[in-house]
Amino acid sequence: MRKRTLKRGLTAFWWLTLAFLYLPLAVVVLFSFNASNSAATFTGISLRWYHRLLGNEEILSAFANSMVLAIVSSVIALVIGCLIGYGMYRHRHRKLGWLIVLIYLPIVLPDIVFGISEMAFFVQVHRLTGLLQPGLPTMIIAHVTFQVPFVALIVYSRFVGLDPTLFEAAKDLYATPAKRAVHFMLPTIKPALISAFFLSFTLSVDDFVISFFTAGPESATLPIYIWGAIKKGVSPEINAIATLMIGAVAIAAIISLVFSRRRPA
Amino acid sequence: MNDTLIADAADAQVRRTATVESAREASAIQMQGLHKRFGRDTVALDGVDLTIQAGEFFTLLGPSGCGKTTLLRILAGLEEADDGRLAIGGRDVTEVPPHRRSVNTVFQSYALFPHLSVRENLAFGLKMRGMPPEEREARVAKIAEFIQLGDLVDRRVDQLSGGQRQRIALARALVCEPDVLLLDEPLSALDAGLRSQLQVELLRVQKRLGMTFVFVTHDQQEAMVMSDRIAVLNGGVIQQVGAPREVYEHPANAFVARFMGHDNLYPVSARSGNRLTTPLGELIAEAPGEGGLLLIRPETLDLLPGEVVGDNHLPATVAERLYRGSHAEYRLEIGETTLQATLNNRGRRLPEVGDRVTVTVAPEDLATLSE
Repeated sequence: MRKRTLKRGLTAFWWLTLAFLYLPLAVVVLFSFNASNSAATFTGISLRWYHRLLGNEEILSAFANSMVLAIVSSVIALVIGCLIGYGMYRHRHRKLGWLIVLIYLPIVLPDIVFGISEMAFFVQVHRLTGLLQPGLPTMIIAHVTFQVPFVALIVYSRFVGLDPTLFEAAKDLYATPAKRAVHFMLPTIKPALISAFFLSFTLSVDDFVISFFTAGPESATLPIYIWGAIKKGVSPEINAIATLMIGAVAIAAIISLVFSRRRPA
Repeated sequence: MNDTLIADAADAQVRRTATVESAREASAIQMQGLHKRFGRDTVALDGVDLTIQAGEFFTLLGPSGCGKTTLLRILAGLEEADDGRLAIGGRDVTEVPPHRRSVNTVFQSYALFPHLSVRENLAFGLKMRGMPPEEREARVAKIAEFIQLGDLVDRRVDQLSGGQRQRIALARALVCEPDVLLLDEPLSALDAGLRSQLQVELLRVQKRLGMTFVFVTHDQQEAMVMSDRIAVLNGGVIQQVGAPREVYEHPANAFVARFMGHDNLYPVSARSGNRLTTPLGELIAEAPGEGGLLLIRPETLDLLPGEVVGDNHLPATVAERLYRGSHAEYRLEIGETTLQATLNNRGRRLPEVGDRVTVTVAPEDLATLSE
C-alpha cells in the first residue's frame, strides 16, 4: 500500500519536472500560432506570423548567417576535434592528464568570459595585422574553439571503447597507415562523428553570448536578431522564430543522441 | 650477426629448394639473440635463439609474463626487438612493419571488426592487399568452405558465439595464405568441451595446409596435444625446445619439469655410481645424469600389494586416491615424504586408502635434473 503511494508520488513528480522544463517552450510554440497580436490571450490558430517571417529580409539574413555559421564551424570542428581525439587516444598511456583538463576548460568556462576573450583577441590581431575584422569568419573561429573540445571528447571516448587489438588486426591484415584510417578508423567511429557534428551544430545555433561578442555589423545570427528585436517588445514573430529554432535544435539533438548510442553494426 | 644469419638462411634455402617443394620453405623462421625490455626493469626477452622449421606446428609455452606473447608480437611485427635479428623464409624482417610481412595473427580477443559483416571481415586482408573483388569473393568462398563456416558468413559479428568468432578469426587469417600463422592463446576464452573440439580442428587445418603455425599457450596439455615441437620459456629465456614427448619425459631442468606438471622431484643427497640416496630411500637409475634432483614420473610407478623386498622397491602407505575411471591417481607416503603415482585401471584391484603397498620403478625410468 505504502509502496504504491510512493510510486504514484514519484510519477507525479516526473510529470511536474517535465512540465517545469517544457511548459515555457509550449507557451512560445502555442503563441506562435496565435491569430491575434496579443501576447496574453490566445484567439485562434493561424500561420500569419510564419508568413510574416518569410517576408522579413532581416530575419532571413539572420537565419542564413546562423546556418552558414553552424555548418561551417561544425565541419571545421569535426576535422580538428577528430584529430585531437585520436591523438589523445594514441598517447593515452603517457602522462597527459593535464592535456585533458586543458580540453575540458573551454567547456566549463563561462560563455561571457570566453566571448570577451575572443573579442579582445580578435581586436588585437586586427589592430596588428589588419586581418580578422569582426564578422562571420571571426564568429566561425570562435565557435570552432568551443565546439572542438566536445568533438574531441566524443571521438576519444569512442576510441577508448574499442578493443585495442583491432588496431593491431588492421596492421596485421596488410593495411597501410592511410588504409587503416579509411577502412578501419573512420568507419568505426562514424556514429561518433555524426553525433559530434549534430552536437556542434546545436551548440552553434544555440549560442548567443559568444556570437554577440565576435559578430560584426553584417553578421547577426538569429539569437542576436531576437535579442535586438525584443528590446522593441516581444512580437509574435519572435515566437515563430523561437518555435522554428526549438524544432531545428531538437531534431539535431535527437540525431546526435541516436548516433552517440548506436553501436556499430 | 646479421650477415651470418642471412647467409645461413640463403644456404639453407638453396639446399632445401633442391629437395623439397619451395613454396612451403618460405616459412621457416630464424631468431637470433632477440632482446626486449619494457621500461627500465621489465625484461621480456633475454636473448632468444630459435629456429622454427617450415610446416611445423610450433608452440611457445610458459607461464604468464614469460615472454611468449612478446616473442609472438615480434614475429607479427607489432613489437620491435631491442636487439637481435629475425628472418622469415630467409628474408630479414627485423625492421619490416606488420602490414608488409606475410604473417597473419589469430588474436586472443579475435579482434573482428565490429563495423563489418563476417564476409567483409574475411575479405579485409585481401582488400588491403589490393586484390580485385571477384578474386576476393572466390577466395573467401573457398576458405568458408574449408573451415566449414556455412551460413555464418552472412551474419553480423555481434550475432556470433565465442567459438564461431574464433573460427572466423582463424579463417580471416588463413584466407590471406600467409607464410606463417601466429596464434595468441586463441582457445583460452572457450569452455573445455568446445576447446578440445577446436584443438582437433585447428590441428587438422594445419596438417592439411602444411602451413607453419606458431602457437602461444600457457596450458601444457594443449601444447602437448597440438605441437610438433614446444619451446618452454621462463623469464624471457628459452628453457627447452623439443617434441612434446621429449619435453614431458626428459625435461631439461626443474622449471620445465614442474611446468609440465611433475611434482615428484627429490633432492639427491649422495650418490655412488648408479645408486642415488634420496628422501624416499636408495634408488638405482640406469643413466642418472649429473643433476641434483631426481625426477619420478607418476605413470612409471607400479604398486604391488603388501611388502616386497628388492632393488627400487619402496614400502609405502596409500594416503589418498582419486579415482578417474580410466586411471587412478595416488598420493603415497614413504616415511615423511609424499610421492604421486598414477595407475592404469586394467581390471586388477586398485589399492585403497590406508593399504600398505610396495612402490616399484624401473631403473631406466629414473633420471636427474638440475634446478
